[in-house]
Amino acid sequence: MWLPLIGLIVGLVVGFLLDWRVPQEYSSYLSIALLAGLDTIFGGIRSFLERTFNVRIFMSGFFFNTLFAAGLAFIGGFLGIDLYLAAIVAFGVRLFNNLAVIRRIVLSKWINQQE
Amino acid sequence: MLQKSRKITFILAIISAIIGVMLTVQLRSSLHPVHKESRSIAELRTTLQKELEKHKNLLADISKYNQLYYQYETSLSEDESISVMKEELARTRRMAGMVGMEGEGIVLDVVDAHTPEAPVADEHMPVPVVGDYTIDDEDLRWLVNILFANGAQAVSINGHRLIATTAIRNVGDVIQIDTRTIRAPYEIKALGEPEVLLSALKLEGVEDNFQLANKKVLAEKRDKLMISANNETRVIQFMKPVKQKGDS
Repeated sequence: MWLPLIGLIVGLVVGFLLDWRVPQEYSSYLSIALLAGLDTIFGGIRSFLERTFNVRIFMSGFFFNTLFAAGLAFIGGFLGIDLYLAAIVAFGVRLFNNLAVIRRIVLSKWINQQE
Repeated sequence: MLQKSRKITFILAIISAIIGVMLTVQLRSSLHPVHKESRSIAELRTTLQKELEKHKNLLADISKYNQLYYQYETSLSEDESISVMKEELARTRRMAGMVGMEGEGIVLDVVDAHTPEAPVADEHMPVPVVGDYTIDDEDLRWLVNILFANGAQAVSINGHRLIATTAIRNVGDVIQIDTRTIRAPYEIKALGEPEVLLSALKLEGVEDNFQLANKKVLAEKRDKLMISANNETRVIQFMKPVKQKGDS
C-alpha cells in the first residue's frame, strides 16, 4: 500500500521540478480535474479494500471523470452557468462517502486484528 | 492474486503521481499568479526611454569616477597624488561657488517693459491697468532653475552668486537672496553655453511669463563674463567630518 504514496511524492517532486504554470483563466479547470482525480483515487482505494477493484473501471473512471469535470466546467463557462459547482458538490459528496467507507473498513480490520 | 495486487498498486502509484503533478501545478499557479503587463505600449516606451537615459547618465558617471580613480592610482606611485587632489579640490571649490569664475555666458536684465501707448479707441474707456504685478521670488527661482537645468555652471543675481544652499524668498515686499535684499532692476548672469541657455529660456516661455508682470527680459550673449565668488559667511552647524578608522 505504500507504493501509491511514493507515487504521490514522486509526482509532487516532478511537478516542482518541471515548473509548469497554468494560466489564471484555466486554473479552475485544473482544480476541478484535480478534484475528480482525487475522487477516483479514493474510490479505487475503497474498491480495493472491498475486493471489487477492477483495473479497467478504475483507469477509465480516472481519465473520464477528470476530462468530464473539466469539460463540464468549460461548458458552464461557455453558457454562463456555474456548472462546475455541480461537479464540486458531486465529487465532494462522493469523496466524503468513500472516505467514510474506507475508514470503516480499516477500523473493522484493525479491531479484528486486535481481538 | 499477488501478481494482480502488485499490478493494481502499481497503477495506483502512477495515478497518484499524475495527481501529484496536477496538485503542484495548481498550487504554483494559484500561489504565484503570473502578473500580466497591463500598461499601454506608449507608457512603457516612455518609461524605457527614461530608464535608458538614466542608464546612460550612470554609465557616464562611472567612467568619470573610474578615470579619477585611475588618476589617483597612477599618480600615487609617481608622487603626483597631491596635484591630483589639488585639482579635485579646486574643482569642488568651483562647484561650491567659493571661487570666482570666468567664461562665456549670458546676461539677463529684467526691466520694466515700455508698453507702447495703445491707440485709444474711445476716450471714455478706462485704460486697462497693467503692471500692478511685480516679480516675486517664485519667478526668480523658476528662472534660475531653468538656467541650472540647462547646464549653467554658475549663476548670480545682482552680483550674488548662487550656491546649492542659496535661498530666494520674499520677505515683506522685497526679495532676499540668502539674507541680502535685492531690488529691481534684476540682473542675472549665467555661465554656460549661450545658445543653449537662450533657447531654453525661449522654450520655457520666460518672456511671456515676465510679460504678464509687465517686465521685459533683455538677454545678451557675452564672450567673457565674470561671476565673483559667493561671499556669504557660512555657518557650519550640524555637520562634522566622519572619523574613519586608521585616521591619524
